[in-house]
Amino acid sequence: MNGYLRVGLILTGFLAALILLGMFWTPYDPQAMSVGPKLAPPSLQHLMGTDKFGRDIFSRVLQGAGTTSIIALSTVAIGAVCGTAVGALTGYFGGLADEILMRLNDALTAFPSILLALVVISILGPGKKRNVILALGLVFIPSFARITRTAFASLRDANYVKSARLMGASPARILLVHILPNTVSVLLPAVTIGFNNAVLAEASMSFLCIGVTPPDASLGYMLSEAQGMLNAPWYVIGTGLMIVLMVFGVGLIGEGLQRRDKGVA
Amino acid sequence: MLEIRDLHVKFHNRDREAVAGVSLTIHDGEILGLVGESGSGKSVTAMSVAGLLPRKSCDYSGQVLLDGTELLHADRSLLRQVQGRDMGVVFQEPMTAMDPLMKIGHQVEEVLHIHTDKNKQERRAMALEALAAVELPEVEVVYEKYPHELSGGMLQRAMIAAAIIQRPKLLLLDEPTTALDVTIQAQILELLKKLNRESGMSMLFISHNLNVVRKLCRRVAVMQRGVLVEEGDTEEVFHDPQHPYTQRLIAAIPTRKRKEDAP
Amino acid sequence: MKYAAKRLLMLLVTMVIVSFLAFLAFDLISGDPATAMLGTQATPESVAALREELGLNRPFLVRYGEWLLGFFTGNLGTSYNYKQPVWDLIGTKVMVTLCLSVLSFLLITMVSIPLGLWSARRAGGRLDGVRTAVNQLCMAVPPFFTGILLSWVFGVMLHWFVPGSFPGLEHFGSALKYLFFAAVAIAIPRIAMTVRMLRSTIMSEMQKDYVRTAISRGNDRGEVLRRHVLKNALVPVVTFLAQTMAEIVAGSIVVEQVFAIPGLGRMLVTSISNRDYPTVQAIVVILAFWVVLAGTVADIVNQCIDPRLRLGGDA
Repeated sequence: MNGYLRVGLILTGFLAALILLGMFWTPYDPQAMSVGPKLAPPSLQHLMGTDKFGRDIFSRVLQGAGTTSIIALSTVAIGAVCGTAVGALTGYFGGLADEILMRLNDALTAFPSILLALVVISILGPGKKRNVILALGLVFIPSFARITRTAFASLRDANYVKSARLMGASPARILLVHILPNTVSVLLPAVTIGFNNAVLAEASMSFLCIGVTPPDASLGYMLSEAQGMLNAPWYVIGTGLMIVLMVFGVGLIGEGLQRRDKGVA
Repeated sequence: MLEIRDLHVKFHNRDREAVAGVSLTIHDGEILGLVGESGSGKSVTAMSVAGLLPRKSCDYSGQVLLDGTELLHADRSLLRQVQGRDMGVVFQEPMTAMDPLMKIGHQVEEVLHIHTDKNKQERRAMALEALAAVELPEVEVVYEKYPHELSGGMLQRAMIAAAIIQRPKLLLLDEPTTALDVTIQAQILELLKKLNRESGMSMLFISHNLNVVRKLCRRVAVMQRGVLVEEGDTEEVFHDPQHPYTQRLIAAIPTRKRKEDAP
Repeated sequence: MKYAAKRLLMLLVTMVIVSFLAFLAFDLISGDPATAMLGTQATPESVAALREELGLNRPFLVRYGEWLLGFFTGNLGTSYNYKQPVWDLIGTKVMVTLCLSVLSFLLITMVSIPLGLWSARRAGGRLDGVRTAVNQLCMAVPPFFTGILLSWVFGVMLHWFVPGSFPGLEHFGSALKYLFFAAVAIAIPRIAMTVRMLRSTIMSEMQKDYVRTAISRGNDRGEVLRRHVLKNALVPVVTFLAQTMAEIVAGSIVVEQVFAIPGLGRMLVTSISNRDYPTVQAIVVILAFWVVLAGTVADIVNQCIDPRLRLGGDA
């Protein structure tokens, strides 16, 4: 347990608890107008102040962070599960399918994820939460597939895998029981990076008003709203800081995991 | 000419001293063989002489005197004066010991670049001469090649050329033939013998292979677990090993080979 | 030069594939453009007439061929939304985005390379942990957030520029000033990534055997770095910078929105919202070309640096 991992886990744990809480209870109704004075700066009643409609920003940020995290988690789940499956099979069995898929993969990973997500979302239709998840999930499959493929291909010829094969273990058993647990050290940091990319990509898309749109306010959409209210800068700062802290916390966990595996302090 | 007095080296992340009180002398024009299995401290001894110890991550004491100049505790700028000019080093893996992106010729003449004011033509001429001295063919062609374009044996010759271009007093050879085929190994040994005969350069030859040492060195020192266990005339040590470890080492040499090699 | 030519040929092939996929995808989803263009006034006769006029009755491959040819002749089709040739719509916008990208790229390389070297030199030092944490923090800042903050501080409060009114490329000086703030927003997280990458590359190069050889010849630290390590570290860095070019394109899409810069990215977003497929199609292919071109240039540069990459292989 190194410093990065510890600080990252504490920060992320704290935020996760806040966000979980925000799914059931927020200080004020995030949508309700005039719960306080308009454009009030942060105070004890309104931790992040209020916007020009008199809505409580802290409540809104909690709700938005909830939406953003759910989308990011679903996205990573799709990307990681499908990507790992594809990477595991192609990495272990190799062959022509592997060649073709990896060439395609090379081409896809050269493009920034947001550009691909924009293309997919313009095909699926912008403005729906489900489509955002689907678009981002699809976009993250190749990077997971590549990481998993490398790990599986390198372990394919490891002696303990060979001996398992000699003992008559089925390919499914070898993949799931013998190889998969040993790739966790590579996959975990990849999941943290994927989560961060998903948060940033979702926020960007919603900021551009082609991701999640109201009533499912996500942090990105709120920032675009906040840009129109620069006379209440706490709206921008509160929302932006939430994104930064979420990504920073998970980023530290990723850094900590990578260093732990490399054995550096 | 080279004198090591009571050398101790201990790495911070290890419990045992890598070198625990080694004293050695190499005379002018002599080739001394330093033998031992991996982890015996022979390479660390050579690195201490070459000024390549990672000083921050180890404790060291003792003296390394090259013609009377203390090197072990010498500051970096003095050490750099000696490195390359008075002392050349040849490493085990020629493939990785060479900069993959630099032409062979430029690597061979790098020492001149650092230690002399010679211009490009002079450097090139000397590099070609050194490449010829290590018996490489078509030196002009080799000069322009990159490491990946040469075989391991040729690369090791080029490494030797780079180490001797300034005619150093001492050549440190850290397992220079281990990574090579047996036939290439024999050629490199012949080359080293020739260089020693013609230029009178002293050499410290490190190997885990007793047979190789026997072919090249008049005198041999045997190390085990950081300590010098035996030192003496190579043939004497071979025929009448005093220390049990040396006896085991010699016994481990395949017998057919031993007969073959016997004079 | 043979390998450069080969690589350029591969670039062409890739571009044909990418453009084909883009054309196919949008052709499948966009439905009937004639109906879309006429909107509510569509009658069967007018739709048929427009279909004839747009040449939509011809086979798919013929239309693809014409569209691809259009890229070289400047005929990218007609926007559904503006009823104008796409090229007229995006012509100047390409230049704006190009300026923004180049500015961001210069900013990223000029800041991150010295910073990365410094950080590699200080690796393992006392404040290493703090530096890594700051680095992670910078990577966590989304460009649109920085963008809003910059336009608030330097625009609204300090009046260094007027947020929302891009002066246009005719006024090049003030346009550059305006774009500079956008470039900073794009650059910050990318600088952090580049520094991190440089640091780990140099550190792993310093572990290599050839460094020990170089030291044994009497090089000092600086000379080892200058003469050997930097060149060896360059190959992964060049590849990374090509990726950076691609990421800048992505960043510009969002940041153009923040600063109301009339560039390709902003146009793309508007066109997606309006389902203006010919425009989306054209912009996607242009951006893709930009990304693939950056990759190709990086490959060619790397082959010049590293002779080992010149041998056969995928080149």
